[in-house]
Parts: sequence; C-alpha cells; structure tokens
Amino acid sequence: MWSQLPGDLVGRIADHLPTATDLIRLRSVCSSWRSSLHLHLHLHRLRNNHRHHPTILPNDGISQSSWAFSLSSRTLFLLSPSPAVDAAATPWLVKFAHPHPSRLTLFNPFSRIPLPLPPNFPRVLDLTHIRVLELGREYVLHHVGLAGSVNPDAGSLYMEKVVLLPLDADSEFVLLTIHVSGKLAMFRTGNPRWGIIQDMPSPYDDVILYKGEFYAVDGTGRCVLVGVDMRLSLIAKSVFGGDKKYLVESLGELLLVDMYLSIDVDEDDEDGDDEEIAELAQHFDYIVAERTVRFRVYRLDRGSLRWVEVRDLRDRVLFLGDDCTFSASAGDLGMSTGNCIFFADNFFYPVLREDDGITKDREVGFYDMDTGSIGPLENYDGYSKLFWPPPDWITSGEFDVRNQ
Amino acid sequence: MSSKKKVITLRSSDGEIFEVEEAVALEWLTIKPLVESGCTDAIPLPQVTGNILAKVIEYCKKHIGASESEDRKILYELESWDADFIKVDQGTLFDLIRAADYLTIKTLFEFTCQTVADTIKHKTIEEVRHIFRESNDFTPEEEKEIRGKSWWLQGL
Repeated sequence: MWSQLPGDLVGRIADHLPTATDLIRLRSVCSSWRSSLHLHLHLHRLRNNHRHHPTILPNDGISQSSWAFSLSSRTLFLLSPSPAVDAAATPWLVKFAHPHPSRLTLFNPFSRIPLPLPPNFPRVLDLTHIRVLELGREYVLHHVGLAGSVNPDAGSLYMEKVVLLPLDADSEFVLLTIHVSGKLAMFRTGNPRWGIIQDMPSPYDDVILYKGEFYAVDGTGRCVLVGVDMRLSLIAKSVFGGDKKYLVESLGELLLVDMYLSIDVDEDDEDGDDEEIAELAQHFDYIVAERTVRFRVYRLDRGSLRWVEVRDLRDRVLFLGDDCTFSASAGDLGMSTGNCIFFADNFFYPVLREDDGITKDREVGFYDMDTGSIGPLENYDGYSKLFWPPPDWITSGEFDVRNQ
Repeated sequence: MSSKKKVITLRSSDGEIFEVEEAVALEWLTIKPLVESGCTDAIPLPQVTGNILAKVIEYCKKHIGASESEDRKILYELESWDADFIKVDQGTLFDLIRAADYLTIKTLFEFTCQTVADTIKHKTIEEVRHIFRESNDFTPEEEKEIRGKSWWLQGL
C-alpha cells in the first residue's frame, strides 16, 4: 500500500521530518520511497533549520563587548540497540556537535565542555539495528572576538538558554533568549539588531519552543506565549513557590518544573533535612549557601490555562540542562521506573576552580519524585552509566558496519 | 444576503451523497471554482470513497474558523480533537492523505503528512518497514548503503 504513495507526496511527508535520522529511516522503507526522496534536497532544508555549523549573527541591541555572535547547535541523542538484538544493553545518552561538517564533538548531555572521542569509536553505525532517538537540540551563542576568530571551546558569552524557530522561508529563523536584564530578547534573520521585549513583571527564567511556538516563564511561574512579532500573550498565571523555573515538554504536554534551593521551609516536608544539610556541609571546604533540595512539577492545563500540579510523572524522566530541557520514557532509558528528574546542578558542590587545573563543569543531580530522594548522580548506582563512558556495544565494534 | 447558509452537494466514488456548507467547500481548492460558479448539481468526487469523505468533512467542519482563532483555549481544544481524530488505521491514514491531496485541502494535508512523519520517530529501520508493511526490496548494494550511513560524522 504505502509504496504506492505518489513520489511527490512522499516528499511532502519528508518535509515534516525533524531530523536527518528520520529522513534516512523514511528513505529506507522501500525502494520507491528511496527514489522519491532526494537526500541532498531534504538535507539542505534540515541544515538550514538546525544550524549545525556556526552562523555569524549581529549582537547589536544586546551586547557591546564583541562585534558579533556565532550561533551553533548541539543535538541530544539516545542510542540503543534494537531490543531484538540486545534487550539488556544500556542505552547511551550523549550530546553531539559538528563544529565542522566532518568533525564530531561529544559532550555530556548537561555539559558545555567537549569530551575526548574514545578509542574504537565507530565512524559508521548500522541504523537497521540501532534505535536513534533525538531527544532535543540546544543552541548556543558564542562571542566572536575582534580578530574574527570563533573559539567553540570558550565559554559562551551568553549563558541563558537560546531557542530557535525556523521560518518557512529558506534559511530564515527567529531566536529567543533572555537578556541579562531578565527581559526577553529576540532576533530575526534579516534584521540588523536584536529586539528587547520591555514587558516584564518579573525577570524571566526559561524559554522553550513548544509545538512550533515560543513560550517563556518568569521566576514566579507566570507563562507567556511569545509571538515572532514580539507580542506577548498570557498563558498561565504565577504559581510562586520555588527558586528557579524550567519549561519542559513531555509527551506533547508543557510542564513547569520548579526548583527549590537551600533549606526547605515547606511544612509538608519530612523532618531531619536540616541535620542532613549540616552533615553534608562538613564535607565541603566552605559553607554551601544554597543547594537544590527538591522539585515541584506542574502541567499546563490547556482547558483552563492554569498550571496544575503533577505528583506522578509515571514512566517519564525529565532532564533539566542549562541549554536545553527534554524528557524520555524510563523504558527507553533502560530504567525500571520513571517519575524522576536529572538536572544540571550548580548547587550540590562548590564549583571547581579553574586555577586548580580542573575545568569548571556542571555536576549532574538526580531527584526521585516518588521518595523525595535527591543527590549527585554518583549516589545513584547504575544511572551514571547512561552518560559516560560510552557503553561497550558502541566501542566494541559490534554495530560498526565496516567490521561486517 | 440570505441568512440561510448555502449548502453544496458532493457525491463520493461509491455514490454516497454528502451536503456541506459552502464555506467548508470553498477551502477545498480543487472544487472551489465549481462552487464559486454556483453549481447546484452534486459534485462528483470519483477518487474519494464515502467513508473517507465523511472523515474529511468532519475534519473541515471542525476546523473552519477555529484554526485562525486567537483564543488559546480554542486552539488547544482543537489540537486534542485532532489527536483523537487521527487515531485511525494505516489504511485510513493513507486514504486521508490521498484525499486531502486530491481535494487540495492544505490543513488536512499538512496534518496527515505530519502524522506519518511522527510515526517513524525513534524506531529502527526494520520497525519502520513493519509499520508501513513493506518488506525489504532493496538490492544488496542499496541495503549496504542504508546500513552504513555515517550520519553522525557527516553533521547531518
């Protein structure tokens, strides 16, 4: 049946595919589809949409300290062998960037610092037996110096999250980020400068691209839809509560995650936390002023336009990074239960100083919504192997086509 | 102008007769000229069966006016309605794409294409073939090329 679909309609379906991996899959269905899909034509569209390779943008309107920004993207992948091949294998959650078309850089999903490519890292993977799930994509603005050089390994000038909306027209897109003032800043290709949206009852915490539209949330949980014309419309009112708000998409729903820092003052929290904190603090070189203690999750009720608290995420697992948020099912991650959160943690440990010879990096924290248990990833045996080093099935060459 | 809404009559390939409001039929670019010319006979649609035409009309009636709404609640409600509407078997989805293309109904066409695109996410190639019930008809050389896509080094 499907192989009878006229070629131009196959092409139109391909226009809706978000990733190159999806395109390869669609082309692999049957030979008539393959001959209908001109790989290079569609890849051209995806490249334009994704900005894998650095693009130079002006910074007029939001920064004077450099002459331009360089925009690049990184993609989060979850890779696992097909259950038919190896049901027990640990999936691998990794972030890729392509600073040059032929160069691949690996990152820990929560990090901005590249990892070394491991030995025996396959150049080619057998996609017939490997499941590739693209969980998210993050965009980064780097500072371009007066010499005109872009150093992708240098910290980005802009530390807030950047989200990108491709427009229908070829190569055109809109960016949304949070300005240092806490206001929203928008850039549209073709415009010489960034625009700052002045409307701000309270500084913004997070931005997201959700179902093809920009949303932003402020520190109180007040959520607005941000039009590409820079007009704001109120979606949901504040929830207050915690200290930092994140927006995450999970199974098509928009979630608000509220991160609580420091000593918990909520009355329904169990006793004993204070002692625990005191005990933890003794292990540190200096007193930790704040730490992440818990999270609350809300979903946008689209009927009443309100945040409604969610106590059980069922088998969903949320990931809160500095540059991107995403979600996955516990099953896909090889975890026995969901209802938990991995997060880039700036608060568990003192940040390692660069003069110690150790590069600054984010710690990863884990929060179990069922039990309220929270701590650094290393405390949760088994979960850290999702991240690094790559699982054996990647480096063993088992799925490397050259060996077959 | 008459307050009674003008009705257009359509005839499916299997002879079923349907009546739709003119405003709905005007969204179907293939028959729009006929509708505008004031045709009063039943418009024959030889490529669309009655059961598919009924689905197409149901979708378009729901969407008329609502897609352009500025009201978020209406748009969100429409999205959940769409999600239920498209819970159909592969054969119906296939027929809906063909019908939307034949009748040139942009919203339904884009929506059905998106639905097919969404079904292939996070699957292996074997699983995708299974969904579309296509067996592997590639030559060994082509198959080798599929298996060996060096997608992550190419910066796709």
